[in-house]
Amino acid sequence: MSPDARKALVVLVSVLIAVGIWGCAEQVETDQAPKALVQTHMAQWQRKNPDRAAQWIKEEKARHKIRPPADNRHLLTGDQGKGHVYGSYTERDILMWARETEKLVVEGSRIFHSAKLLGGTVGVSCDMCHPDAANTHPETYPKFQAQMGRVALLRDMVNWCIEHPVRGKGLAADDPRMRALEAYITAQRKGTPLEYGKH
Amino acid sequence: MIFRNAPRRLTASTTIGVVLLAMLCGASALAEPAGGVPRDAHGAARPEYQLRQLAKLVGSADQAGVPPGFDPQVWAAFVPADNATTPERIALGRKLYFEKRLSRDGTVSCATCHDVTRGFTDQRKVSEGIGGKLGTRNAPTVLNTALLQTLFLDGRSPTLDHQARMPITNPIEMGMPDEAAAVKAIASDASYQKAFKAAYGRDVNFQDIGRAMGVFERTLVFIDSPFRRFLTGEAKAVSADVKAGWDLFNGKARCVTCHPMNLSNPLGTDNRFHNIGVSARHQDFNSLARRALKALKADPSEKKLDELALSTEMGELGRFMVTKNRSDIGAFRTSLLLNVGITGPYMHDGSLPTLWDVMDHYNKGGEANAFLDGGVEPLALTEREIDQVVAFMFSLTDDRFAAENRRQFALQKAAASKSRKFRDDDLAFRRKIAFESRGAK
Amino acid sequence: MKRKSVETEYMEDRAALYRSLAKLDRRSFLKVSAAAAGAVLAKGLVPPHSFAPVSVAQGAEAAGADKPAFRFAYISDSHLYERKINDRFVRALLRAVEDVNALDPQPDFVFYGGDLAQLGQAAELELGAQILKSVKAPLKMMVGEHDWYLDMGERWRKLFGKPTYSWDHKGVHFVVLMSVMERDFWTKRGLTPMERMTTVAGLDNGMQSPFMVGEKQRQWLKNDLSRLADNTPLIVFSHSPLYKLYKNWNFWTDDAEEVQAILKRFENVVVIHGHTHQLLTNRIGNIHFHGLLSTAWPWPYAPQGMPELTIQMSRPDPFNPNDGCGDGEVLVHVDGLIDKVYNLWNRNPITVAKGYTASSGTKCIPPKPNRPGY
Repeated sequence: MSPDARKALVVLVSVLIAVGIWGCAEQVETDQAPKALVQTHMAQWQRKNPDRAAQWIKEEKARHKIRPPADNRHLLTGDQGKGHVYGSYTERDILMWARETEKLVVEGSRIFHSAKLLGGTVGVSCDMCHPDAANTHPETYPKFQAQMGRVALLRDMVNWCIEHPVRGKGLAADDPRMRALEAYITAQRKGTPLEYGKH
Repeated sequence: MIFRNAPRRLTASTTIGVVLLAMLCGASALAEPAGGVPRDAHGAARPEYQLRQLAKLVGSADQAGVPPGFDPQVWAAFVPADNATTPERIALGRKLYFEKRLSRDGTVSCATCHDVTRGFTDQRKVSEGIGGKLGTRNAPTVLNTALLQTLFLDGRSPTLDHQARMPITNPIEMGMPDEAAAVKAIASDASYQKAFKAAYGRDVNFQDIGRAMGVFERTLVFIDSPFRRFLTGEAKAVSADVKAGWDLFNGKARCVTCHPMNLSNPLGTDNRFHNIGVSARHQDFNSLARRALKALKADPSEKKLDELALSTEMGELGRFMVTKNRSDIGAFRTSLLLNVGITGPYMHDGSLPTLWDVMDHYNKGGEANAFLDGGVEPLALTEREIDQVVAFMFSLTDDRFAAENRRQFALQKAAASKSRKFRDDDLAFRRKIAFESRGAK
Repeated sequence: MKRKSVETEYMEDRAALYRSLAKLDRRSFLKVSAAAAGAVLAKGLVPPHSFAPVSVAQGAEAAGADKPAFRFAYISDSHLYERKINDRFVRALLRAVEDVNALDPQPDFVFYGGDLAQLGQAAELELGAQILKSVKAPLKMMVGEHDWYLDMGERWRKLFGKPTYSWDHKGVHFVVLMSVMERDFWTKRGLTPMERMTTVAGLDNGMQSPFMVGEKQRQWLKNDLSRLADNTPLIVFSHSPLYKLYKNWNFWTDDAEEVQAILKRFENVVVIHGHTHQLLTNRIGNIHFHGLLSTAWPWPYAPQGMPELTIQMSRPDPFNPNDGCGDGEVLVHVDGLIDKVYNLWNRNPITVAKGYTASSGTKCIPPKPNRPGY
């Protein structure tokens, strides 16, 4: 290869690497954003209220009825699971799953019942039209919602409510608050058959 | 696209704008540019001229089939069983559309108020019929009416075929005393006898007059706007402002709640009836409704309803005249938005001259009245946001009317920059609350 | 450039008209109102009286045979915030006041069903009081839990007087109860007044106690009714329903049976209650229960415990913030039973006629909903 060609090749490769790194950096940056948001609510509150951090689930449950997640203890039975790595579960696994799921649902309940956490500007919280998440009917989505001009998922309807009756700013799909709200709303309809498209 | 031309036309449009302002104060609409279009009675373009323009618009497309881009199953639902589209019926319907002998004094045809050169409406506040009589309603456009579920702004007609007949016998529109007179006016014409036989296999009769016109109107499907191209994936079809306007349309401005627009239903109307307060500006609904019930009880015929709607202030009651439901007082059908840029002035009485005025009306939450639709709330839209939604609305005009669209945009922009009569920022930004001046603060 | 909008000009015209009406001397004013009343009678219009739509709910048509003795209107559950926080609720209350003032002929009085404020703030209560000042007919107030639990009714009493009272009107005895008493749940938890208020303000907040009338008021009620004969028409206003519908949402009165026992001896008792923000109908023995609409927002129907007699209102459409809300009237018959008119905004009014509850749901059946609740 001629020295000029080699120089050109080096420049080209450097440029490509630089672009690649920049691109990855962008990607990493974007990935960090929602993770950073997780810090905002729960962890922040825990830092500010260290003595009550352990209490917050208990308090929320004292205020609002939360339907528990499914009982997974049947996974502990059966002989096939004993001593294997894959396909076997322990009591601690089941306890952890339940606790973590419940935490997200309870977090959702906190946001659901608070105009401030929803980011609303008119003092309206979800429970003012949906006590105990009544009439949220998550089992009917997806459905075509003419007044939104498209097929709506539960999160689209949640965002519509946040923007209009609650007069706040809509949440991104991966916003921890949206995830918590969806968790709570779905949890409260435990046991209802799915009937997507029902109006 | 539209906006690149605007600056060049600014001086011309400002001059026109000043002239227009004077005319706006009267009852007439934004005027057409001087010269160029041969005019006829009641300000309509001459029929031959309209027919030439129409031929240019539809080109050589096969009009008897499903309009291009339409789902055939959905389209089939819009065509009545007894009135399939055939070339003979289209030709007959077109002939009747321009037929002035169907009016008592021979000066008015459908094309008078639904003029090919004026957005298939007349771009006037209210329409003018025989003897120069003015009605109380703004003429809706014939474009895309095939896709509506009811006709007339109060939905008193269930189908196109039915609606087409009504103006013929309305005393202030075409003024024929009855159906027989209308038939008589054209029955002795050999070309009509032949055309009716070819189209329907029957003699000239009133029902088929309506049917044929319905067939013709069904061919007037004009949905190919820059915005539709954007919706089908062409990102550069519209400007950034139009896209921002579309976001507002679906979000802060809440338009989509009553004007849903999507690929399955591009019309931009929910086909329902809402009281947004336009009719509330001038009267006391309660006493008007009492009078209306009395009048309708005395004569419950369809013809009487048609008369009352157009010739009296009871027409302001809108859908109530048809259903007598209290929830329908002052309610009119949501307008379709396709080609809205070229079909001004706006609202059932043509009282809003430009789309900026329309935005002002909604921005302040409509007009407070006891029957106002709760979905109409103050929107707190800024001036820039209003401009973006207006830009979006102008992007809904079919490409074949692009020149007229540009012209209307310039005219409306000039007029709006001089006068925004319906604007109320205190209400729009919720500093003042509707109903407030009547009660305590 | 400050321009008067079309709307401002119109409003000014209207205001001028009202002012000129106010200036009419008594004789001319009576002439005007008599003419209006005469016109209504001549047309044989059945109330509701702004005008009678032909396709009104069946209930009202059936009731036409038995003309009521008098009417009153109601507005309820406005849940006001200060206007700079929430303009929507203020607008809705103003709209209700406008509805009620536009009634022709005017009702005998206007009843306010409680929850005027949302968080019991002085500013909220005062805003509500000011708005209600423009109600033309005499106003009768009832307190709700949202008005009470910030300061235990201190501001309410200053503005509106005693929460529990009674009066007689055209042969009917009216009672207003304070039926949202709660057993103390706040002291041992060390809650601040605001925390107490926000706890009570949450419909589904399980920390609060069930509503009740309480021993003291039951005693007062017994005394108040002691001088009345069994055939006296009796109408009791209560914020909580005075029966047990759904405890989780405090659609509940804990001592309902005791209160009902006090009312048992009367031939016809009507209980009209707020709090539930929906069309609700029930009958327990001699007592006919009717709910009031809210101006602010509708509640969903309870998942359990719904009275059989209730034919639900069609599920409100969230895209219209006024759907499922409204105000209304009560047509009182000579025997004390009522036709309850729900003036739902943007919908046709629904009338639950006396014939419906009197026949235990077999006659005068109101229209069924097409959109069920979930």
